[in-house]
Amino acid sequence: MATPYIEILVFACNWDGWSCIEATANLGVGYPASVKVVRVSCLSRIHAGLILKAFEFGADGVMLLGCESGRCLFGVNGEYIINEHEKARSILKILGMRQDRLVLVQLPAFSGQEFVMQVKNFIVEIERLSASRRAKITDPEPAQDIAVLSQQ
Amino acid sequence: MFDLQSVISDTGVRLCLDCGKCTVVCPVTRYDAEFNPRRIVQEVLRLNGRSPVSDTIWSCISCNMCMERCNYNVKFTDFIRFLRYKALEEGAEIKYSHGGAPQTIMHIMAHRETRQDRLNWLPEDIKIAKQSDTAFFVGCAPYFDVLFSDLGVSTIEGTRGALRLLNHAQIPFTLIPNERCCGRDLLLTGDIDGFLTLARANIHEFGKRGIKNIITSCPECYYTLKIDYPKFLEDWDITVVHITEIIAQVIETGELTLGKLEQKVTYHDPCTLGRYSRIFDQPRSILASMEGIEVAEISDNREKSLCCGASPWAHCGTVNAQIQKERLAQAGATGADILITACPKCQIHLKCAQKNAESNDVCQIEIQDICDLAARSLLPQEVS
Repeated sequence: MATPYIEILVFACNWDGWSCIEATANLGVGYPASVKVVRVSCLSRIHAGLILKAFEFGADGVMLLGCESGRCLFGVNGEYIINEHEKARSILKILGMRQDRLVLVQLPAFSGQEFVMQVKNFIVEIERLSASRRAKITDPEPAQDIAVLSQQ
Repeated sequence: MFDLQSVISDTGVRLCLDCGKCTVVCPVTRYDAEFNPRRIVQEVLRLNGRSPVSDTIWSCISCNMCMERCNYNVKFTDFIRFLRYKALEEGAEIKYSHGGAPQTIMHIMAHRETRQDRLNWLPEDIKIAKQSDTAFFVGCAPYFDVLFSDLGVSTIEGTRGALRLLNHAQIPFTLIPNERCCGRDLLLTGDIDGFLTLARANIHEFGKRGIKNIITSCPECYYTLKIDYPKFLEDWDITVVHITEIIAQVIETGELTLGKLEQKVTYHDPCTLGRYSRIFDQPRSILASMEGIEVAEISDNREKSLCCGASPWAHCGTVNAQIQKERLAQAGATGADILITACPKCQIHLKCAQKNAESNDVCQIEIQDICDLAARSLLPQEVS
């Protein structure tokens, strides 16, 4: 069976995050074509609504690629994105989509190799999640997951 | 799906006498002179659908105050809903609040393949019947608490309280693990296709479990399931009751006695429960049955209740904040310690106004759900 096409959306911050994407080209290391990169001025611009929108439009995974703590050009150091990332993960969990479909990656500038490695690992992880999800969906009657505490 | 002429006759807008009473009572017009219900009706009738309607249609908060006042029963809120549907069809863009997250969640929920994991808030002391044809419809409270965690809201406490009250009253019920949003906010913003997809997914879930009765604690879900589902879906034969109706009834028959709480409270009538569903007395009788509770009526109450400034998670702005501020000031003026409401959205909207207040003039009264308060009155004796 052919490997399913895993669509990944990367929100990359304009500074250290985007420099990692540029470094992949400079170093000549490629990343899979199914990885789409959206350049944003700062990850603090991204909120749970935008992250969930990506999933609504069919993304299998979302990666938030930003600066390491203490390196933020705007001095916000991920205080917004960490909160929004947590929110979006909790909502993905309630929606039954698995929270591991969303990751926050903070890398030093120009870490092209590291980015490619992380994104490839992420794709493998999502393939695994998708396979288990497909198995769950083909199950005609999903497992009754309410804890029946006592019969009245 | 709809055409202008049939909507004009269904909503009775031709009966509009241009008297402007709707505009006088409209809380939005009070703070935004651009929005004018009377003018919107007259403009649409004059142009007969030939030209796009003005952007102000998105400012309506669907509080139904206009319909309460209208002598000719013009269904303005239904008319606005149609204008929004038409505007969306013509490519209008909605300014979603909260980054559009609530709408996105609803659209993801509408997928046939969605298998939610939405019951992790259920505490161990709540008992659920293994088999029952009565379901408790939870609504979107689990999502709200995550999405609005910054505001410090805990709308799920109201749901927990409602379930505890049902347990105390020995009323068996079951929960639906994969229940969807009722779709009210999509309906109000004119996304009727999204609403119908959610409604059909819900019907499928109810049918699979043989559900005949639904109890809910959210007024929005109550009104949508009870009034809107039968309008849009042919095969709907489920009885829907609101938790306050059922609890007020068992209190009256003596099957449930609430405990004692020393508190001065005021009750805020949610628009969807009050003006839309005409449930005014039941919440008040629940409060009155609690020993030690002193109820101070808020100045605009019952049919005249001021909206919490809610919007269907779209076009929320300074006007909404001003309405919220006014409502909170009214609550503060009663001298009550707690503002009691029966709607999770009222809680969120009013807490948002308190949290985002730029000055000290926003009343910081505590806000609590009626079921949460009633269940707490039973705490020392039994649950703990």
